Amino acid sequence: MTAQQETVEMGLDGNERGASSLAGKYLTFSLGAEEYGVGILKVREIIGVMEITAVPHTPPYIRGVINLRGRVIPVLDLRLKFNMETKEYDERTCIIVVEVQVHSGMAQVGMVVDSVSEVVSIAAEEIELPPSIGLSLEMVNILGMAKIKEAVKILLDVDRVVGKGVVAAV
Amino acid sequence: MLEDKNGISSILDTMALKILIVEPGDLSVVGELLGSVEELLVFGGETEQQRWLHGMAVAFKAVMDGMIMGELADSAENYELLSKAVIQMQEVVRTGANLDPTIISTFVKHINETGYPLTVSTLLGAVEREGTSPGVSSEEKPGEPGPDELAPALASTGNPEDSPGGSSGGGSSGVPDFLQDRELLGGFIDEASEHLASIEVNILELEQNPGNPDIINNIFRPFHTVKGVSGFLNLTTINNLAHATENLLDDVRSGKRSMDSGVIDLVLVVGDTLREMVENIRDVLEIGPERYREFDISAQVAQLQALRATGESLGSLTPVAMTEESIGENTERNMQDDEPPKSLADRAIASEVAATSPSSTSMAVAKGTPLPPVADQQTVARKTIEASIKVDVGKLDALINAMGELVIMQALVRQNPLVVKMADPKLAKDFSQLRRIISDLQHTVMSMRMVPIKQTFDKMMRLARDLSKKTGKKVDLVMEGAETEIDRNMVDSIYDPLVHMVRNSVDHGIGTPEERTKRGKPPTGVIHLRAYQKGGGMVIEIADDGEGLNTVKIREKAATRGLIRPGDSLPDFQLNNLIFMPGFSTADQVSDVSGRGVGMDVVKKAVEKLRGQVEVHSQPGAGCLFVIYLPLTLAIIDGIIVRVGSERYIIPTTAIWKSLKPEPKSYNTVHGRGESLLIRGSLVPIVRLYRLFDVEPTFTDPCEAIMVMVESEGRRCALMVDELLGKEEVVIKNLGGMLAVPGVAGGTILGDGRVGLILDLAGIISSVAE
Repeated sequence: MTAQQETVEMGLDGNERGASSLAGKYLTFSLGAEEYGVGILKVREIIGVMEITAVPHTPPYIRGVINLRGRVIPVLDLRLKFNMETKEYDERTCIIVVEVQVHSGMAQVGMVVDSVSEVVSIAAEEIELPPSIGLSLEMVNILGMAKIKEAVKILLDVDRVVGKGVVAAV
Repeated sequence: MLEDKNGISSILDTMALKILIVEPGDLSVVGELLGSVEELLVFGGETEQQRWLHGMAVAFKAVMDGMIMGELADSAENYELLSKAVIQMQEVVRTGANLDPTIISTFVKHINETGYPLTVSTLLGAVEREGTSPGVSSEEKPGEPGPDELAPALASTGNPEDSPGGSSGGGSSGVPDFLQDRELLGGFIDEASEHLASIEVNILELEQNPGNPDIINNIFRPFHTVKGVSGFLNLTTINNLAHATENLLDDVRSGKRSMDSGVIDLVLVVGDTLREMVENIRDVLEIGPERYREFDISAQVAQLQALRATGESLGSLTPVAMTEESIGENTERNMQDDEPPKSLADRAIASEVAATSPSSTSMAVAKGTPLPPVADQQTVARKTIEASIKVDVGKLDALINAMGELVIMQALVRQNPLVVKMADPKLAKDFSQLRRIISDLQHTVMSMRMVPIKQTFDKMMRLARDLSKKTGKKVDLVMEGAETEIDRNMVDSIYDPLVHMVRNSVDHGIGTPEERTKRGKPPTGVIHLRAYQKGGGMVIEIADDGEGLNTVKIREKAATRGLIRPGDSLPDFQLNNLIFMPGFSTADQVSDVSGRGVGMDVVKKAVEKLRGQVEVHSQPGAGCLFVIYLPLTLAIIDGIIVRVGSERYIIPTTAIWKSLKPEPKSYNTVHGRGESLLIRGSLVPIVRLYRLFDVEPTFTDPCEAIMVMVESEGRRCALMVDELLGKEEVVIKNLGGMLAVPGVAGGTILGDGRVGLILDLAGIISSVAE
């Protein structure tokens, strides 16, 4: 609330206005040394790693499908998706189930992450939008960067990473 | 890319099927065809093959538009040519990158024969111009209608101003008007569709019980309701047509005229038109006002009025025979013989009704007004219909899904080692009670989405009736087991194949009355349409008492097509079933009714899509029997679970014909690759599932592994697996809606809670063939 008022007072800087629409609650998680955030409204639930059935003819980062209480949903490994080195799953490994926009409507998809950290509120002034030019392939998946207490959290655009990413890959 | 290809070939399959059942003047099927072509146009052209296909689709659509607009002949010959064009398009998809130029030239030839000018260069030119630079279109010569045809044609389906202004309803202002009450309109569409569907059934019943006033009332009522509501909603065209029909029927009800075949024919036609109009409004609601089509009803209204005028003036003064004659002018008639007594009886009863219930429209039925014995039976039948409610299909699917989960969870809990260890008699008793309740519940839930096949069968009655009039043959269609229930989702898919088979029976199976008499058969042919449950599935049989299949001709044709070798001595049963092979048709002459070159192979494909099977039994001189085996429901599949390495896959049981451990001597290779098994004299290609799916297998030697012989769309292959784990009924689920994987039809939850993949055999076999 205060964040929004401040933005208005600061004038109509485009960058700041874009950031204000990103302000809100994020679920943060870690992949290697990096911290990521995903909008809390996208998250359906967090589950521990369970047995994943591999699906042939899919890109390596799609680990397969799981049984989520009778529903079959695809699961992708974010480390593999971002070309990071693989890591054995352990007791901290989690699957974050997100609901994303795909061409045929909404779908639930699981993302394997190293560990889930916390839910944080991120204010607009803490968010920096990604540079608008010279985007690398990885950068288009990013909504912005949040600086909270010296730590940087990468805010992911899950609709792109998971939704369009999976559809395009298959 | 592969996904695209599957999409395209399934659209082409649909088109092949629709073309089979289309008849000149049958706008609803033509509309569906157009829809399919438009779907094809969506696929872009990146590769050369796709560009060709796109160009072909554009040309195909232009021809169809021409036929709809009346520029090209709306004739069976042209549909035949179009169906050949579809075959060429399928060829393009099948051959993939190495495109054979003769396919294109054949396609162009067929299109030219329809009267639409097209050359190979305009075909591709159309695509490039359309795809890359729309602005260039001004350069086009007027003589090349290829691409410019498209724009006006599109407009014509959508633009109400384009329509002939001759509709006596003058409802051209209706578009913006009636759209104001979307909710009401939605309700009207559902209600009207239901009412209109009942017309046919009742008319056919009336032919069995001529003059039954209850049935006449039932025919009258839908028109009355449609008239009332459409007037309220400002749907003037529908209102006018319904009103004119109602007037005519009112005369019948009040005994002023008889319900003779002239009236019946006209009422059927009007019913069809009304249904089309209602469907069109549904389109407008769902897609947008640009779908609105104006219907020209003036001819039908005039016919109704003419018929009414003759009926009225003659009804009171002239003898029945005269009425007969004057109606004979309007319609061709086959059933003249039974007419006079019918109309006399009709009048007597009809006037009786008029006396008891002078103005009520639906009362007679609802109250079961005392009537002559014929009617009693009728009222009894009506009373047995129980109260029902309509439920959203989405909710029903959710319920079925939840039910499936419940069954699996129950199994999981019971199998939990801790629970198993507890040897408590009370617990065991409770568990068995729980299982019983759950299985009851499962049955009830599953039965909820089953509907009687009667509705589909009723449409066949109408079809047989129309066909017999058209061909001059006498045909009786006898339904048995119409109350057999079928999965709601299957009803639509089974309709087209059934239509084609019934047509086939009338057209090729049953002879003309003269032919039949010559062979010592009664002049009227009988087609039996049977449905019953058997084992875990249902069976639909179509039996005719015609001439049966010409085994000699089939053998010749099979030999010329290279399907059998001249020396082969196949038993008749196998030989007859060759008619389901692609492109196999024994009809010498293409008739207006059926036999458009693409024949039973399309039926087989459609049935196999429902995971069913179809076969034919024939007795020369005595008739032909088509048997369709279908699973009871699409939601559950009976499958064999196989293991490959650490993975488990499910193979649909219906597709399996054998599994074996091969002997070394039956294993063959060509150039060290192309592996096959020699089974009963035929070579069956081997598919190493572990290689296809990239998993680590237990066995790599084919003679140690197990071969599961499967068949799909007439092609066979041997799937190499490590082990057979068992047989299970599994609930089919999609893979989360976003994965379309070649070779995998879907997933299911296995007994241990893990997901198992269900194999798509058609996909596997075609991927191997490539």
